[in-house]
Amino acid sequence: MEQEKTEVLKGTLDMLILKVVAFGPIHGYAISQRIQQISNDFFQVPEGSLYPALHRLEDGGWLQAKWEETETGREAKFYSLTRKGRKRLSIEMVNWERFSEAVALILSTAE
Amino acid sequence: MGWFHRLFHKRLEDKRLDAELRFHLEERVRDYMASGLSPQEARRRANLAFGGLEQMKEDCREARFESHIEDFLRDFQYAFRSLAKDRRFALVAVFALALGIGATTVMFSVLYAAVVDPFPYRDFQHAVEFDLHNLAEPSNDIARYHYTIPEFLAIREQNHSLEDIVGNYQLDVLYSDGKGTRRFLGGYVTTNGFEFMGVPPLLGRYFSAGDGKPGTPFVFMMNYKLWQTEFGGDPKILGQTFFLNGKTRTLIGIMPQRFNGYGSSLWFPLDLSPGADGTVFPVHDANVMWALARLKKGVTRQAAGDDVDAILHRLAHDNPGELYPQRFKVVARSLVDFVVGDFSKTLYSALAAVFLLLLIACGNVANLLLARATIREREIAVRASLGAGRRRLVRQLLVESCLLAGAACFAGCLFAYFGLKGVVAIIPPGPIPEAIIGLNPAVLLFALGIAALTTLTCGLAPALHAVRGNLELRMFGSGKGAGGGFRHGKLRSCLVIAEVALSIVLLTGSGLMMRSFFALTHVELGFNPARMLYAWVSTAEHGPYETAVKKTLFYEQVLQRVKALPGVISATETISMPPLGGDGGEITILGKPASQHRSSGVDLCGEAYFQVLGLRLLRGRLLSETDIDSARRVAVVNEAFARAYFGSENPLGQKIKFNDFDQFPETPHDAYFEITGVVSDFKNRGLFHPPVPEAFLPHSITGFGDRNILAATSVDPKSLLPDVQREIWSVDPNAAITHSGSIQDFLTEFEYTQPQFGVIAITTFAGIGLALVLVGIFSVMAYTVALQTHAIGVRMALGAHRSDVVNMVLWQGMRLISAGIFIGVLASLVLTRFLASQLPGISATDPLTFGGVVLIFLTVGLVACFLPARRASQSDPLLALRYE
Repeated sequence: MEQEKTEVLKGTLDMLILKVVAFGPIHGYAISQRIQQISNDFFQVPEGSLYPALHRLEDGGWLQAKWEETETGREAKFYSLTRKGRKRLSIEMVNWERFSEAVALILSTAE
Repeated sequence: MGWFHRLFHKRLEDKRLDAELRFHLEERVRDYMASGLSPQEARRRANLAFGGLEQMKEDCREARFESHIEDFLRDFQYAFRSLAKDRRFALVAVFALALGIGATTVMFSVLYAAVVDPFPYRDFQHAVEFDLHNLAEPSNDIARYHYTIPEFLAIREQNHSLEDIVGNYQLDVLYSDGKGTRRFLGGYVTTNGFEFMGVPPLLGRYFSAGDGKPGTPFVFMMNYKLWQTEFGGDPKILGQTFFLNGKTRTLIGIMPQRFNGYGSSLWFPLDLSPGADGTVFPVHDANVMWALARLKKGVTRQAAGDDVDAILHRLAHDNPGELYPQRFKVVARSLVDFVVGDFSKTLYSALAAVFLLLLIACGNVANLLLARATIREREIAVRASLGAGRRRLVRQLLVESCLLAGAACFAGCLFAYFGLKGVVAIIPPGPIPEAIIGLNPAVLLFALGIAALTTLTCGLAPALHAVRGNLELRMFGSGKGAGGGFRHGKLRSCLVIAEVALSIVLLTGSGLMMRSFFALTHVELGFNPARMLYAWVSTAEHGPYETAVKKTLFYEQVLQRVKALPGVISATETISMPPLGGDGGEITILGKPASQHRSSGVDLCGEAYFQVLGLRLLRGRLLSETDIDSARRVAVVNEAFARAYFGSENPLGQKIKFNDFDQFPETPHDAYFEITGVVSDFKNRGLFHPPVPEAFLPHSITGFGDRNILAATSVDPKSLLPDVQREIWSVDPNAAITHSGSIQDFLTEFEYTQPQFGVIAITTFAGIGLALVLVGIFSVMAYTVALQTHAIGVRMALGAHRSDVVNMVLWQGMRLISAGIFIGVLASLVLTRFLASQLPGISATDPLTFGGVVLIFLTVGLVACFLPARRASQSDPLLALRYE
């Protein structure tokens, strides 16, 4: 009921995570907060999708993880981008740009 | 590390996952608290947002690779446990599959040894030999694959398609060690022959280009078998000299055990320069050389054949004569085909048969799996409702059949290991002397592949079937449910029909081969082969027997002594070996146009020949003692001869000439023979070929060639052989028997073993297949009856008789079996056509065989259905109903 905020479009979650992680090592909670913040609360990433996605990306070699202390002195799992992940991110961004341009084009002419 | 590490540090990994998620939760709680909520409310909200922690953990784990492996291991564990619970099923299934896999592996390893890896030679796939086909003959028969030395030299010099070419011919080698004379099969081989084969000698060296040239010392090489049997494997004989065919020769090399090139026991170097050893008469102008060549890179067999064909046509144009048929064509044949030949057909048929057997076994196991799946419907439904996906369930069931196939593969290889020993024992010695039959990596790989195939064949259909439709619904109505049972019933019926049909095909194939083999061993020869002795005698060619008179005298003395032996009824000399007559050649009939092509076999014989072989005189008179003694130019011909060339005319008194005689210095030239008699036909071109024209001449007209002593005996010919040898030696200690025995043994070795191998192999497979089908029908019927207990109970409660129930079940079963028989017979009619070439003496659609097979099947089917039917009729209706 409180889910009025849009769920992340299927298939784009990986790209958003990679983009957020690209700024520097970051833990899971901060990733979800960051996505929400940057999108001006438009996207909300449910934990049930976020963590399996993180683990899948780590398993696939796009992310690497390290246990480190946060500023508050607690142990947390920090994710960072691997070289393979960086490559994938750039490819996905290009693809996304093309995709959204194409969609926009269709929507603007379909009137 | 990665997934591999995590697989073995599962607990640690779980802890970390837990810590990561907990951290997230705590952070959220802190955030909520920071926004002013009470600690309790913050925690409640955070938990709510978080959802099911365990489910999320599961999702995270599943995102990782190792989870697949874990699932797999778990599936295996589960399958293993469920199979262990149902041990009887597991044993039956593994046994059936192991039979199938084992038998397939055995046949594959024989085929692999015979066709893929029959020789130890280098690059033998590109080795070819050349056949000269006579296009004037209706079936384009091979006229010869031997060439004269000038022909060989022309091919060697003028070809554009051959990398290298070896010439060789065989001859008897008489070895005198001072005590007596023994005879071995030897061969002259051009000096490149051993380098061509690329097999290094076991001891010493092989021939090089200098050997065999005129003026060089005489050398020779020996094969392993002769070295072992005659010289006890003594390495010191290397470099020693031996007295062979009248010359002193030095042994320079011994070849290893797995080398049987050029088919001889010892080899002489053949140099083709004029006057060299081995090129003198009678070899030079006779077509005795067998040519083995290796194709140049990129040249096809067809192209090489055409190349050589052109060379020989040029030769034929320049030197027309007896060597060349009117129209001919040279074709290159691969060495493998030349040596293994028809035997590979037998092997392919046996492999096809064994695949049918494997399919039957798979059908059986599939049926058993289906039965299990039906019983396990409830279990599958429970698992489905607990969240197992269809894919997961199919995988689970496939793992089970995979486990069965794996166990069967292991057991099958064990079967194959022991089975191969039996197979090697019955394999004919001729076609694959150098093949090593055994379980090699290629064969084991094949067995594994077959096991995988088996898994899919027998596991996939039941697995897919088990998860069809609405799984959850089955929780309620399953077990004896009519709906599900009916659907399974259909697939099971199809499997039974298929099994029966496959088995019918196998049985008809095996039946036809058995019938053909029976026909083969019961061909009417006109004499009893088990009481017919033969002994080929070899005398030193240029020694004391250079004239016909001297040779005749020798044989006369020998024959007189042989005839006097107790147990010998009569004896003759000849130059042929029944059921093969003398060699054929062109003839001319005086007073008939020479343009017409006429040919006839020629046999040189003594006066007792007709009596020995039991040939009846039809017209005129037989050869008399006077004819033989004075070498008269008279001939007796067979009925086929008279029919072919004289028809209704009287052949007696006609004169015929054998054109081949003009070629040899020792045979009478330009000689016409007067026909004095006609005798009945006999098998003179093998067991199944109709008799061809043949003429019988007094042996005394020439001293040419080795002679065969044929004797009709009243005792086992083998017991007489030492006496015959003794009598021959008492006339001349330098004469040797080259090969001897009873005609029965000869037939067994050269005519029977190959078909016998096919018969034994396919009949064994057919027998196993039939047993599997019997079990298959039985289990399906028993299962169907068990499913129908309720229906049968109702019927009987309503007054049906026991016989009605028996009839009903029998009817159900026999309907399936009849359908299977019908399809099987149709398939057999199509398929046995491919067997036809291996079924001499019998039609591929022999009605007796087909009838017999159908009868066997009806009987077997009735038995398999009757037992379950009887059990059904004996069930107590009250008990049957109470179960509901």
